Amino acid sequence: MNVHDTLFWFFSIAMLLSGVLVIANRNPVNSAMCLVLLFVFMAGLFLLLDAIFLAVIQILVYAGAVMVLFLFVLMLLDIKASERRRILWLGLIGGLAVAGAFVWELAMILGKPLKPLASADKPFHAGLTDVVKPLFTKYMLPFEVTALLLLVAMVGVVLLSKKELR
Amino acid sequence: MSIYAIQLEILLVILGISTLLTDAFKPAGDKRRLGLTLGVLVGVVFCFSFLLKAQTDTAFHGLYRLDAFALYFKRLFLVATALVLVMSAEFAKRIESGVAEFYALVLFAATGMLLIASVNDFVLLFVALELVTITFYILASYLRRQVTSLEAGTKYLILGALSSGFTVYGIAYVFGTTGTTNFDSLAAALRTGGIPNGAFTFGMLLVLTGLGFKIASVPFQIWAPDVYQGAPTPVTAFLAVGSKAAGFALLLRVLLAGLLPVQGVWALLLLVLAGATLAYGNLGALPQRNLKRLLGYSSIGHAGYMLMGIAAVNALGAGAVLFYLGQYAFTNLCAFLAIVAVTNATGTEEIDGFAGLGKRAPILGLALFLAMASLAGVPPLSGFFGKFQLFAAVVEAAQTDSRYYWLAAVGAAAVVVSLYFYFNVARAIYLQEAEDNSAIPVTAPVRVALWICMAAMIGFGIFQRPLVEMAVTAASVFGLK
Repeated sequence: MNVHDTLFWFFSIAMLLSGVLVIANRNPVNSAMCLVLLFVFMAGLFLLLDAIFLAVIQILVYAGAVMVLFLFVLMLLDIKASERRRILWLGLIGGLAVAGAFVWELAMILGKPLKPLASADKPFHAGLTDVVKPLFTKYMLPFEVTALLLLVAMVGVVLLSKKELR
Repeated sequence: MSIYAIQLEILLVILGISTLLTDAFKPAGDKRRLGLTLGVLVGVVFCFSFLLKAQTDTAFHGLYRLDAFALYFKRLFLVATALVLVMSAEFAKRIESGVAEFYALVLFAATGMLLIASVNDFVLLFVALELVTITFYILASYLRRQVTSLEAGTKYLILGALSSGFTVYGIAYVFGTTGTTNFDSLAAALRTGGIPNGAFTFGMLLVLTGLGFKIASVPFQIWAPDVYQGAPTPVTAFLAVGSKAAGFALLLRVLLAGLLPVQGVWALLLLVLAGATLAYGNLGALPQRNLKRLLGYSSIGHAGYMLMGIAAVNALGAGAVLFYLGQYAFTNLCAFLAIVAVTNATGTEEIDGFAGLGKRAPILGLALFLAMASLAGVPPLSGFFGKFQLFAAVVEAAQTDSRYYWLAAVGAAAVVVSLYFYFNVARAIYLQEAEDNSAIPVTAPVRVALWICMAAMIGFGIFQRPLVEMAVTAASVFGLK
């Protein structure tokens, strides 16, 4: 096993573990911190794929900005550690069954060598210009629509979290 | 010419943002009048859309198409938005705060739907789909003091986010195996390269999962009755008419433009899903006592009828789905307008609350009765002709593959079952005696909107030709036989 493979297994297993901790933790602040860890390990995976820009953005935007906002909200809401919840067995078994089926399906597909069409067999670049330039040329319309999407989200948050209704 | 292609969307965004701004700086005293004005303005945009010409080439580097299909759906969404705004204006007094924002959000959701009509690339598909869905999360939980509304919003948020996740994951697989997100180049790659191995099919199924959620087809239908019942009535109407039509627009585009070369993989799947959806929606509606919940189940059932048309994979079927969506919009909006007017006066959505409506408010009774009859598919109303076309498409498909006869049989059984619960409502309206026989007031805008809907239901039922011609022209962009 070379360094690349070792790092891959390290990052993915650590990522999965922190993912489990996010939902298993009863203290919301601890959950949020585990989520930060998850983002960091995911950035590691992007690095292994030579997607340096994505890795940096992942740390800057998700681990940095988004998580700080998360923690602010948690602080403002002043949430105590939630009570131990009763486990719904039917839900647990059903959820595990669906997840199991999904993993089995993935294992079946990825177990066989992937044969993409000739059109997909192009070398892959994910440098800064490869990501940013299409955003303002080819994918300008979706990019602009995202602006509208953010406006809607903002209006929604203000309306739904407003203290007094008048 | 890219700006030419998105001028309708631009007009709607301008309307939405000016609504937000005027409300911030100079709040309108009469929110009801504001809603009616916006409804009329959207109606003007609808009339304006007839000046646009269908384009053969794409805009925005192949991401966007303004063809006959897109124009058909854009007009459908504009009519629906105008009527939903009128409905919202009537509903406005029950919204405690943010009425102007409510109108603005409806306009933004409509913008997303108009974009969806033109989508020609998975990237734009995802962004436009999210614009519509996220707006609906907010709209569904708008009555914050009502537990049912919050429940509707939360359920829609959790299931919607999950299904969006599936969609993106699927798009990643489709992109990974074919190297493109554009529908035209996807079809071209599939035609020359054949069907790639499992990973592609897996991705395709995940995309269909996300779209199945939007149209509420089995097995992604669980949310529909709860959300339909809990959401504010205009939002329910917009979900049933706009969001569902948007889902079908995407389904038709993705399957018939992008994935047509691999129809052998999905046609049979849709056949089974259509049958299951028909059975679930129509059987589930039988014991319902709440009219909005009943219409939730009925909307699942109607998704089943329309899936029949797509599963048939022929020109007749595609045109039939478009015709069905067109008339379904008027029928459903008619029913929901009547519900808003009645519940404004009585405060109940139970079917028993509609007892004696024929005497209390003859026009509401007639409108609701006609809507139920059209949903059940009684001639000469438009619902009958819509179903007739869909069954014809399935029977045509059955000429080559006899399994389609089973689908037609399930569909016919579903129609028979649905007669029972639709006429249960009709019985309450005309045969049941009300405890309180006071007249229910009907405002002038509601009256006008109801007459428009009823004229459409009866008009498209007897003189089907104009709408059929529009639907067939729109469906012809796929070049099916």
